[in-house]
Amino acid sequence: MQAGWKAKFLLGLSLCLSALGSPIGEQFDEQLTLKSLRDGKVLSRFSFTTLLKGASPRNPQTLGSDDISQHYTIFPLALGQILREYAITEMHLTLNAGNWNYDRWGYPEEAGVGTGAELWAWMGDGPSDTVDDRWKGLRNALAGLFCASLGSLDEQRTTAPVRSFEPEGNLPDWGPPHQIRHASLASEHVCTENLTPFLKLLPCKSLSGIASLLNPHRLFDADWHGMGVHVLWREGEGVEVRLAFQSISDPVRYSLGRKQDWDFRTLFDRTIDRKCPVAQSSHVVVALPTSAEFDISPEPTSNAAGLATFDVATLNKPLDVGLRWRFDFQYPLDFDSPTSSLSVQRTLRGSSQARGQLSLVLKNHRNTSLHVVYLETMPWLVQFYLHTLQIYINGSRNDDAMSDMTYMPSIPHARPATFQCVLAVPPGGALHLTMDVAKSFLRYTEHPPDAQRGWDLPPAILTPFDPTSNRSANDPIGGRIYTPALLVDLATPDFSMPYNVIIFTCSLVAFIFGSVFNLLTRKFVVVHIEPTKDKKE
Amino acid sequence: MGHWRDSDPLLDMDFTPDPSKLSFQADSVRRKIISAYWTIIILALPLWWYTTSIERLSLPSSQVASNAQKRLQIPVRLAVDVGSEGPLVATQLQKSLNKRIERVPERWDGLDVRVSTSAEAVDGTYIICSGREVAVMRDRNLVYPVGAQSISGLTDVLSDLIAPFPSTSEPEHRVAQYSPRYRLSFSLLNEDAAAGNAFTEWDVSDAIARHISPILNRVSILHNFTLESQVQFHAPLAFNPQHLDTIFGITPEDLTVFVNSAEWTLSSSASNDPVLHFVLFIPSAARRPLHILNNEGDISPSNAFLLPQWGGIVIHNPSLQDIHSDAKFSSAILDPIFSAFSSHLLSLLGVPHLPTNVQTVSRTHDALTDWQFDALLRYRALNNAQRSKDTLQSIVNLVGQIENMPVGPNVRDDIQNALIALEYMYDASKASLTETLRHSARAFILSSRAFFNPGMLALLYFPAEHKYAVYTPMFASAVIPLFVAALREVAAWRRERKQKQ
Repeated sequence: MQAGWKAKFLLGLSLCLSALGSPIGEQFDEQLTLKSLRDGKVLSRFSFTTLLKGASPRNPQTLGSDDISQHYTIFPLALGQILREYAITEMHLTLNAGNWNYDRWGYPEEAGVGTGAELWAWMGDGPSDTVDDRWKGLRNALAGLFCASLGSLDEQRTTAPVRSFEPEGNLPDWGPPHQIRHASLASEHVCTENLTPFLKLLPCKSLSGIASLLNPHRLFDADWHGMGVHVLWREGEGVEVRLAFQSISDPVRYSLGRKQDWDFRTLFDRTIDRKCPVAQSSHVVVALPTSAEFDISPEPTSNAAGLATFDVATLNKPLDVGLRWRFDFQYPLDFDSPTSSLSVQRTLRGSSQARGQLSLVLKNHRNTSLHVVYLETMPWLVQFYLHTLQIYINGSRNDDAMSDMTYMPSIPHARPATFQCVLAVPPGGALHLTMDVAKSFLRYTEHPPDAQRGWDLPPAILTPFDPTSNRSANDPIGGRIYTPALLVDLATPDFSMPYNVIIFTCSLVAFIFGSVFNLLTRKFVVVHIEPTKDKKE
Repeated sequence: MGHWRDSDPLLDMDFTPDPSKLSFQADSVRRKIISAYWTIIILALPLWWYTTSIERLSLPSSQVASNAQKRLQIPVRLAVDVGSEGPLVATQLQKSLNKRIERVPERWDGLDVRVSTSAEAVDGTYIICSGREVAVMRDRNLVYPVGAQSISGLTDVLSDLIAPFPSTSEPEHRVAQYSPRYRLSFSLLNEDAAAGNAFTEWDVSDAIARHISPILNRVSILHNFTLESQVQFHAPLAFNPQHLDTIFGITPEDLTVFVNSAEWTLSSSASNDPVLHFVLFIPSAARRPLHILNNEGDISPSNAFLLPQWGGIVIHNPSLQDIHSDAKFSSAILDPIFSAFSSHLLSLLGVPHLPTNVQTVSRTHDALTDWQFDALLRYRALNNAQRSKDTLQSIVNLVGQIENMPVGPNVRDDIQNALIALEYMYDASKASLTETLRHSARAFILSSRAFFNPGMLALLYFPAEHKYAVYTPMFASAVIPLFVAALREVAAWRRERKQKQ
């Protein structure tokens, strides 16, 4: 009897342990959030979080000596190696394609939506390798890992904007303060070769669990898509790696403009067939529409506060969550009116290849005044004339709207400019900032292979904050806002005929040289011509 | 034109001065101008030469050549400790060994084997004592039933212990190339964890501490190691195993493509150290049991195999008990797997196997005996010496062959330091085996670094035609007038001299 009781207890214990599913020390959670937007599009956001419990980032003081052995079960080893090799405390890498439309889609769930590639990292200072050496190593290693041209995020693109990129986790206290490095490359094209290594970092790859919905054919067909890798340290918890994928797909387009119904099949062309065996939690969360009649299938596991939650582990598989509307989709009249508190417009004006004007328009849709940190990290290709900076509030000149300006001028061929200031936008008003810029004349070898296309300038970043509190808190006003990238047309030589140019210049030089030389050395003689009789007549 | 000349003939007859009388038309002035041009050109030539020539520092090629002739001789001292018969057995054994050396010289190349009696034994000498029937070893001692008729058997055993590899200079194809640091990567790969009955956890640190660390500590003189491990839950194979009745089989051909590098993320992008992989593969629940087949199509008794210079793989089919207990490996399952890994590791590091008829008796649980360890040191030292000599010779030949190849101070310094390390190695070879190895490794690393110096490739593919294409349009049109003027002036000067005579 006693033995039987013991066996039952042990069985129960082992069941508990196996129900836990994941090993102690590492925890993996996955979530998919789906939300129908006002203009009929659907936002899907995948989030895969791995927590390495009790771990801490490598102290750069120990970089000279041997590191501890890395034994992981869920945590991606390929990423762990890079993080420890270069002693990275916090790192954020995003690869996005397209422009996020804040006015129509509101604030994204993942703040990093800047076009192209963006990488920023917080690193402690150490005795053996400088922060810049490790930054270089980090971007080259990530370039190799993600098959992205992050290697070109070199000194000419690297800045240290502390104010706009505050650490999202905690920074350990190792003595010397932490430093930030940030670089972005708007011209990076994100495609399936970047998604494949991204999927390999997931414990279940794209073969089971929520990640099996990540179908490159559909994701890269979306109106907007972006992936992100975020590594941060939470004091008392451990090192957290969050892999995120966001996309904006358009079911109205798939259904030939009639219905905004969607399900996994139409959005991703896949269903969830199996659960990921190591996921501690695996949820699909659908934001339900508030003002329309709809039908959701299958029955959600729980339904609260307008959010229907599906637990992938317990529901019948294959799981195909779908939302169906009773009526056809009609564009709302206000589909283009802003949903965010701040609208931003940034343009580069001027048709000349030497001069231009940068213009930024901020519109505050709230009825309280809004303070934003405005950050421009401009490659040296475009140089600011700071004395021409002018600010208009609702059409009238008001330079007092700008405060706390810091400016680090660019160095040609070496360093980008960093321009940062705080702008105050009055309630319901518009702020218009203009500044003249000069466009550089590049060396022959500095042009990219597609030189005629122009240069992509990185997006400006605006961070709203509450001036009454001490630090520039992200919420509740909203996080960083990225403007669309700009394209600048620089004077471009004709690359097709360098040899012709050589020949032409050489001919000219040879002609001038020959003439001068001949003139200097020619012997003049008088030739006496006897007048002939014919002529005389 | 003729018209006004006709009308005013006096003008050009009487009032025009003779141009040769003008000061700037004097022959001396013209010659000075031409010589000034030529002086500048000739003075500028060294500058042009200096700015366009490739930096090619001279290499110590004669030293490299003389070094290639030198041979590393590592002494191996054997002593026979069998009492009064000692001197007789020693001479017999020496003779028998010398015969072996003559028969297969490449196996003994670089080894200087001397047999003596125990009275002359110095530190590091291998002692052969007479003992029971079984050949038993302890540290540097060998116990063997020594007798007049057993000399040939003893010679066999000694050859296997001292020179276990077929050649001392040619590297073994299984053994990983020498590196001062290796990464050991342990991977638990579930073919498909979602199909159920998978292992999500293993106590790898404990298994490494018990099976791998003793080896690593023993060979720490040769290499440093970085350890890492990972678990993967979806690691599909690139082929479909054969389905035979109740089992699934992998043919020898399939084994060559067993590692699915496209799907298994095994490689590391953070360092350049060579990686030795140890893969524990758990077949999907739908494909169990999975066995390796031999050439005849029968099930091979072992489910482990070694990929030369890459690592080792063990296929484990969990039994029913394993599955029911937990998703975690018990040490009872991991022990045989990790002892397979440890033997793989020994093979990859180049540790020779003991002859089959030799047993070990050692007080401590050492991973390898002194005989094996010394043989490994000798193998690595001779190999490194040979390879660094070859590499140095290749650099000298390559630089001699390709005239466009720049040789910077880095390359020259590395080559010189490698030569110095080789010298040290020769000096140390009589005294200490570990010192010999240390210097040979240094020579090998430096010579490889010189060989792969990226600066040497810079202008390798810059053809001479490019230069002509840029120079000709300029120089052909500018230099020809210069030449013609100079020639004309020389001719005029000669004519003048002739006329004067």
